[in-house]
Amino acid sequence: MKATRYNPLLMVLKLWHLIRNTSVIFFYVFVVKSEYQSTLYSYLRIGLIVAFVFTVLYIILKWFTEKYQLEEEAIHLYKGVFQKSQRMIPYSKIQDITRHRSLFHRLFMVTSMKLETGIEGQDATVKFEVVSQKEAKEIERHLNIVADDEWMNKTLHFTPAKKDILKASITSFSFLVLIPIIASLYTKMDELFHVEEEAAGILKEVINYGWLVTILLLVLAIVSTIIGVMKTYIKYGNYEIFSDYERIYIKKGVIEESSFSIAKSKVQAIEINQSPVKRLFGLAEVKLTSAGSESEGDDGLAVNSLYPFLPVKRTYEMVSEILPSYEVIEEMNPLPKKSLLLRMVRPSWIWIIATGCLYYFKPTPLNIEEAWGLVSIILLGFILVTRFLGFLNTRYILNKNFIQYKKGILGTSLFISKRDKIIEVNVERNMMQQLLGLATIETINRGKPVKHRVMRDVPVEFAHQFYKWYMGRRNEIKVTLHNVS
Amino acid sequence: MNEQINLPVRKLSRDVIKVWLISESIENGIGFIMLGSLLYLDYLFSWKEWIGWILLGITVLGVGGSLWSFIRPFILYKNWRYDVDEEFLQFKSGVVKQVYQLVPMTKIQSVAMEQGPILRKYGLYSVSVETMGSSHAIPGLPEEVAIELRNQIAHYARLKEVEE
Repeated sequence: MKATRYNPLLMVLKLWHLIRNTSVIFFYVFVVKSEYQSTLYSYLRIGLIVAFVFTVLYIILKWFTEKYQLEEEAIHLYKGVFQKSQRMIPYSKIQDITRHRSLFHRLFMVTSMKLETGIEGQDATVKFEVVSQKEAKEIERHLNIVADDEWMNKTLHFTPAKKDILKASITSFSFLVLIPIIASLYTKMDELFHVEEEAAGILKEVINYGWLVTILLLVLAIVSTIIGVMKTYIKYGNYEIFSDYERIYIKKGVIEESSFSIAKSKVQAIEINQSPVKRLFGLAEVKLTSAGSESEGDDGLAVNSLYPFLPVKRTYEMVSEILPSYEVIEEMNPLPKKSLLLRMVRPSWIWIIATGCLYYFKPTPLNIEEAWGLVSIILLGFILVTRFLGFLNTRYILNKNFIQYKKGILGTSLFISKRDKIIEVNVERNMMQQLLGLATIETINRGKPVKHRVMRDVPVEFAHQFYKWYMGRRNEIKVTLHNVS
Repeated sequence: MNEQINLPVRKLSRDVIKVWLISESIENGIGFIMLGSLLYLDYLFSWKEWIGWILLGITVLGVGGSLWSFIRPFILYKNWRYDVDEEFLQFKSGVVKQVYQLVPMTKIQSVAMEQGPILRKYGLYSVSVETMGSSHAIPGLPEEVAIELRNQIAHYARLKEVEE
C-alpha cells in the first residue's frame, strides 16, 4: 500500500475544535466589547483574525504533508510542514488499540483510533483522529484483529442487564446526582434574590403543610434516581466484553462510543479491585494492565476496565473465560501472626511528627487543655486500626506460574500476574524482619506507569520460594535475537 | 534467604571503599559548611526559637550520619555481591537492610560504563544497566572486569522474549 493522507474530515474536525476553543474570545471581543473603538481593541481584532486565518492555513497545510502507510510488517508515518520526519512502528510493538467515536465521528460515520506502543515519551501513541470505518478495518486487519462484522469466533462474555445497571447506579451513588446540582442552584439563586430570607418566610408556611414537603421530597428523590440511572446507563449501558482466540475486546458507551482491544498475550497483569462500597454490595472491577494504555482514562474511567460492577464470583469466572491461560485461586495464604506484631510495633513517622508538632504548639480547640494528647492518641488508634485491617486483608499465593496477592484496608485489590510477564523481582529484609524471619517482596511489571507491587512481611521461607520461583521462568520463555543499544 | 539458590558471589574492587570514603567526605564537608553557615545566620539574626531547635536536631543527625558514613563503606563493600549468567543479573547488598534483586537478561535494554573523577583516580568503572522498569548500577569495578562484564551483559541481552 502506498502512503496516503489522512481522512479530509480531519480538517473539519480540527476546524471545529478551533472554532469551539476560540468562540468565547471572539464573542467577547467582537460582540460584548463591540462599542470599544480604541486602537488596542482594533489591533486585537485584526490580530485575532490573522491568527485564526493562519491556524486554518496551517491545518490545511498539515493535512497535505501528513501521511501514513501500512506495510507488511510495520506502519510508516510521515509528518512535518517544514521539518520532515518519518517514523516506523512495527505491528508487533503495538500493545493495544482504543477506538473512540464522539458525536462528531458518529455524525460523519467515522471513528478515531489510537495505537499504543508502550515505549517511553510522547511518540508512544499512533493517533488517527479521523479515520473512515473502512480504513480503520484495514488498519485492524494488519494488526490481526477480526472486524466487527466477522463475529464468528467471538464470544460475548458480558453485557449488563437492567439489574446490573441498577446495581451500578446504586453503588456509584449516582442517584445522589441532584443534590450538588440543587445546592449550587440554590447558592446561585441566593446571590441573586436573597432566597434565604424569603425562603424563611415560605418555609414557615410550607412546614405547616407537612404533606406538601413530603411530596416535594419524594418527587425530588424520584427525579434524582431516574437521572442517576440514566447517567449510569449512558456510561455503562452498552458495555460488551468479547474475546476470540487471540484478543479481548471491550466496547462501551451509548452516546459516545469507545472500544478497547488487546491481544491476550499482551496482558501484563490483572487487577480485581473492590472499593469499600462495592465490597458491601459484593461487586468488583477487573482491570487488564497493558504496557501501552494509561490505567486511568480521561474521565477517570479506564478503558482497560472490564465492566466495573461485576459480581465478585463472576469476576473470577470471567478472568478464566477471557484469559484461559490464567486461573484465579480464591483460597490464599494469610500473613503469619508475627507479621501483625511487626506491623504494630513499626514506628509510624506520621504519628511521631504529628505528635511532635502537637506537643510543641499545644493547640486548645474547644478549650480542652490536653487536646494535643487526645488527638495524638486518636491518631495512633486510627493508624493501628488501619494496620490491623491491612494485615487482615493481606493474602498471597504462588500457584504454578502465577503470583497472586491481595491488599487493602477498607477496599481490596487483588493482583495477578504470570511469571513471564514480571520483568524484575526484589526481596528486602530490614533488621526487624531479619529478627522475626520475615521479608518484603516486590514484583515489577510493564505498564503505564511501570507497576511496582510490594508485599510486606511475608515469611522468609515464602520470599525464598518466590525468588526461586522467579528463576524458574527460564524454562517457559522463548527468545529471539535482537540488538541492544 | 538460605544458600540453596545460587546467590551472587562476585565482589566489587576493594578500592571502591576508598572511593566511597572520599565522596562521602566531600558530601559531608559540603553539608557541614552549609549547616555551619545556617547556624551562624541563626546566631546573627536571632531567628525564631524553633528554627534553632531544628538546626540543632539536624546537626546531631549530621554528626551521627557522618560517623556512620565512615563505617558504612566497609560494611557495604563486605556485603555487596553481583553475578551474571545467561539468564539473570543478580545483586545483593546490605546487612541492616538486605536487598536481593533479580533482573532477567532479556529485559535489559541498555548497558553502560561510567567513570567519575574519583573512580578514575583508582582506575575503576561503574557498570549500569537499564530495564523497562528500573535501572541498576554496579558501583566499582576494575577496568578489565567492567569491560568484560559490559560485553557479557550486552551479549546475553541481545536475546528478547517472544510474546506469544
